[in-house]
Amino acid sequence: MSQTFSGDSGVAEAVKSSDLHPGTGAAFNADDFEPAVRINRFQGLSRPSLSYWSDAWMRPKKNRKATVSLAMVVFLALFTLVGPFLWRIDPSAQDMARISEGPTFAKTAVVIDEAASWTAPELSGIPAAPTASAENLLAPATLEADGVPSSQAVRLKWAPVTGASAYAVYRSETKPSGKVGTSELGVPIGEVDAGNKVGYEDTFNLERSEYFYSIVPKNGEEASKFTTLRVVLPSTIALSAAQALKSDIKVGETLHLSAHPFGTDYLGRDLLSRLMSGARVSLFIGFFAPLVMIFLGIVIGGAAGYTGGRTDNLLMAFADFVLALPFLLFMILFKIAFGVGAGESGIFPMLVAMVILSWPSSARLVRGQILQLRESEFVMASKLLGARPIYLLFRHLLPNTMGVILVSLTFAIPSAIFTEAFLSFIGMGVAPPTPSWGSMCNDGIQTFLTHPHEFLFPAIFISITVLSFNLLGDGLRDALDPRMRSTS
Amino acid sequence: MKNATNHRTKETLLEVSDLRVEFDTYGGIVKAVRGVSFEVARGETLAIVGESGCGKSVTVQSLMGLIPMPPGRITSGFVKLKGQDILGVSLEKANQFRGKEIGMIFQDPMTSLNPTMTVGKQIAETVRVHDGVSADEGRKRAIELLELVQIPEAKSRVDHYPFQFSGGMRQRVMIAMAIACKPSVLIADEPTTALDVTIQAQILRLLRELQRERDMAIILITHDLGVVAQMADKVAVMYAGQIVESGTVDEIFYQSGHPYTLGLRSAMPENDEEKSKVLIPIEGAPPDLFNPPVGCSYFERCPNAMKICGRENPALFNVSSPEHLSRCWLQVPRRAQPGGGGMRKSLRHTLNTADAADAAAETAAEGRVTFFEQPSAPFRGDESGMAP
Amino acid sequence: MLKYTLHRLLTGLITVFFIATITFAAMHLVPGDPISGAKAMSPEIRANLERKYGLDQPVLHQYKVYLTNIVKGDFGISYTQQNRSVNDIIRDHFPVSATLGVLAILIAAFGGVIFGSLTALFRNKAPDHLIMFLVILGISVPSFVFAALGQYGVTELNRFTGKDILPVGGWGTLSHMLLPSLVLGLGTMAFLVRLMRSSILEVMNLDYVRTAKAKGLSPMRIFLGHKLRNAVLPVITVLGPAIAAITTGGFVVESVFAIPGLGRYFVQAVQQLDYTVIMGLTVFYGSFLVFMVIAVDIIYGLIDPRISVAKRSAV
Repeated sequence: MSQTFSGDSGVAEAVKSSDLHPGTGAAFNADDFEPAVRINRFQGLSRPSLSYWSDAWMRPKKNRKATVSLAMVVFLALFTLVGPFLWRIDPSAQDMARISEGPTFAKTAVVIDEAASWTAPELSGIPAAPTASAENLLAPATLEADGVPSSQAVRLKWAPVTGASAYAVYRSETKPSGKVGTSELGVPIGEVDAGNKVGYEDTFNLERSEYFYSIVPKNGEEASKFTTLRVVLPSTIALSAAQALKSDIKVGETLHLSAHPFGTDYLGRDLLSRLMSGARVSLFIGFFAPLVMIFLGIVIGGAAGYTGGRTDNLLMAFADFVLALPFLLFMILFKIAFGVGAGESGIFPMLVAMVILSWPSSARLVRGQILQLRESEFVMASKLLGARPIYLLFRHLLPNTMGVILVSLTFAIPSAIFTEAFLSFIGMGVAPPTPSWGSMCNDGIQTFLTHPHEFLFPAIFISITVLSFNLLGDGLRDALDPRMRSTS
Repeated sequence: MKNATNHRTKETLLEVSDLRVEFDTYGGIVKAVRGVSFEVARGETLAIVGESGCGKSVTVQSLMGLIPMPPGRITSGFVKLKGQDILGVSLEKANQFRGKEIGMIFQDPMTSLNPTMTVGKQIAETVRVHDGVSADEGRKRAIELLELVQIPEAKSRVDHYPFQFSGGMRQRVMIAMAIACKPSVLIADEPTTALDVTIQAQILRLLRELQRERDMAIILITHDLGVVAQMADKVAVMYAGQIVESGTVDEIFYQSGHPYTLGLRSAMPENDEEKSKVLIPIEGAPPDLFNPPVGCSYFERCPNAMKICGRENPALFNVSSPEHLSRCWLQVPRRAQPGGGGMRKSLRHTLNTADAADAAAETAAEGRVTFFEQPSAPFRGDESGMAP
Repeated sequence: MLKYTLHRLLTGLITVFFIATITFAAMHLVPGDPISGAKAMSPEIRANLERKYGLDQPVLHQYKVYLTNIVKGDFGISYTQQNRSVNDIIRDHFPVSATLGVLAILIAAFGGVIFGSLTALFRNKAPDHLIMFLVILGISVPSFVFAALGQYGVTELNRFTGKDILPVGGWGTLSHMLLPSLVLGLGTMAFLVRLMRSSILEVMNLDYVRTAKAKGLSPMRIFLGHKLRNAVLPVITVLGPAIAAITTGGFVVESVFAIPGLGRYFVQAVQQLDYTVIMGLTVFYGSFLVFMVIAVDIIYGLIDPRISVAKRSAV
């Protein structure tokens, strides 16, 4: 039997009683078969309907990435606009005493005289180059600081070790435990190459307030024994450097040194305030160029799309031509051509070049949208009802392209910031002394291996900004793309 | 109209029993298919009819293993192909019958073909995978198949890309691909929906010819009752994930035992000039399958709704013949109802209100009770009178 | 297809002509004149130099000479390195840039396709999240930061192991090329991964993939024959702009890694305002990029039957 659809076929009464009345198996009341009274027939939609923009607003709120990136954008705006009022340090003020300093808090320093020249003590009667095995060498019996150590110089002297032909000097920021030999003594900052020369002067980057110096005697090989000394450095500043900050200061007086939470650059300028004023330049270009570009795009694309015909062909041929020009190459070319006169920051030429070269993409986008909308039924209907072109354009065409425009604006911002950084990095962007994040990176990369903070901080700021706008753009696109609406 | 009884003695090829499919979505769990059962035999055409979203496509896609899992989930039921279980088997096992034993044609021939592969390669692919033949042999078979589906100049067309074919031609290519390995069952998921009417007729004729030639079973998914009338031996009407009525094509068309089927009929234009017919739409919308109703799923829209309909979902009751089943309380067998009076009711006569009196007389003569004697109430398009 | 190719090449030539013209005009807009840029000199030498570079001629004549020379393939002589012609510079240094660029684009394209496919295959699982996190970083971090960090990393690696595992700069062997080309390709790769991912995800739900499943094809066959094939096409279309990005990105990477490539010379010329070199290299780079984009479009046309076959039968 192939004709059945369900259950046992052919028998009309095959329906099980439990099917009829689940649970009890009881029969029905006659009342069950009275016409039903139905309240709320055809309830309509069970979920509230959302308008395009309210739906678009709900969506990024649900998207964690978009929310975080929006918060980041707000933070960057505050950093740029409010920051300079809270952190009132002149970004161009140079502090030659504190060049390329890592992040520091506020501190005071005692002004000291210029360090006089110092030579390591040389003992007579002890051979400079004895012959002995390194294994038999003892640790120096004494190790002490000669004079008061300062942040300009730490001078060490120690008792000679019999049989040593040289001494290695190590510096560590933490106390060596002494358990694992010489491997944890820190940086080998110097070597004294005579057995009778028992002193060393360290002037290298004395930034911390405490160091551990170890002396290891050598004879060919390094000995396994050593002596360690803890040296505490008072915060001091040389007279000449102090006078640069405050002209009438004298030796022995205390000078208040400002904090540099992000350190200083190669000219001793405060990095935080430079980042803030650099943000103003980078974000100004990052916002202004896309805005002008999109505006131009709307005007040209709207005109092309709305008028159509020959105007459209001509404008789009021109747009295609501009698009075919290699972007960065012509940015550089225009930058040179518009010139940077003395005292000019070069922001304006960069803006102009950027707008000239980038309007076609948004014009094409707007034109495409307008063309599509122009043929759509609701615009036809509006036309039939007698709507004038201006009304059509502003009431129907442009508002419906806004979503696309907004998304492309969000993606244009990070790419403008990128372009600025790239150009400034190769020295073709904002002219010194005006800081921008890109030019700060350019300055910082020279000393990247020794003072990474000068490069890293602006680089991090560029990356975070670009990242936030990219994520925000993603969120906005998801929110405004009607195709995504159905999926959730 | 074909008569289903011709095929009575043929072997059952595909048997689906109590199939239930759910989908996890953001809005909750959608119970797309809720206990569907049917069978098809060799050489027979079963049409599954229903409005969009009723679960007809999900039903056939789940038996082919084409439901993405997750979010899809088959919660119960079995599907037997020539007696072998094929529901929820491993991918390797599924690939032994997909394309080989069961071929499938999809709705939109524009998008169902790979745009960057020649149609010859796409057809040959099926043959090569299942029969393990060489590329040359595959190509030869592809040409034969293109000829079989009546594509002119098959020898040169075999190297063409889908975009070089018209819609109807593409659907022929799809059919060639689906029957490449001589499957015993062909599933056609709305095969003519995207085509215009003249092409539609050609494609349906081709399907019928191929069916006769190869003695295939066809499961035809459609929402077009015209197509059903032309093609089907048996019909299953689906509503909100359930089969609400099933039977032979004559039974469904002329002795409908479910208000929904009747509603569909009233909403369908007829090619009969004598009867000038007013098309009556079915009011309202199908129920929310996130939260299917406890009672009959058609309750809200049903012009004949009774108290029990809102409370309990009816089982499938027999109507006019043993194979004619309807999921409607109006068809409750007389034995189960209080007082021993018959409760079963044939609805066909009440299509026109003028016939209502006759119908009442007739059903009374048959020992059945007509509940809605007042001729104005039932089966009217305008249901404002029913709403309190 | 032939007609299309010829049409594209012709528009390319016109674009190059405009590039040359704009470059010429831009350089003559520069305030002051090219010679007195850096150092003071006697009027006599100045006059001689002006004669040497043809600056004593009227602008229109200069333009004519300039265009004729470009057609002949002569870009003039450098102002700062007065015995070197721009052609010499291109001949000596372009191969280096080209090697670096080709390596970078290979890394970017293959990395983009492979990682993009992986993210799509492992959609919403750990590998997807990891790769997409790195991709977001790759898109948001400028190439000079990668360059600096890469250099730092290699320095530390060499110091840690006490061996020169990789050189931190310079040019010559394959080991010199490894880090710069990776750094150069990274940003583009991140972009391509993203594109490939969305492309595959889009293809995955298309009807013809369902058809392929219904035919009983194995997942591998479906992936290679149906998904990848169609998903790669949009990636090919962006290779033109990707080549442009990698070429200009080379300016920075070559400078940071001290690679004697054309990009570094271009940046130097820009910084020293060496006008002939700037003009020559702008025109050279400009034509190179214009024709690269055209080449990519034509190759795409050959690969995508919807274009190649349609065009072939149309002509």
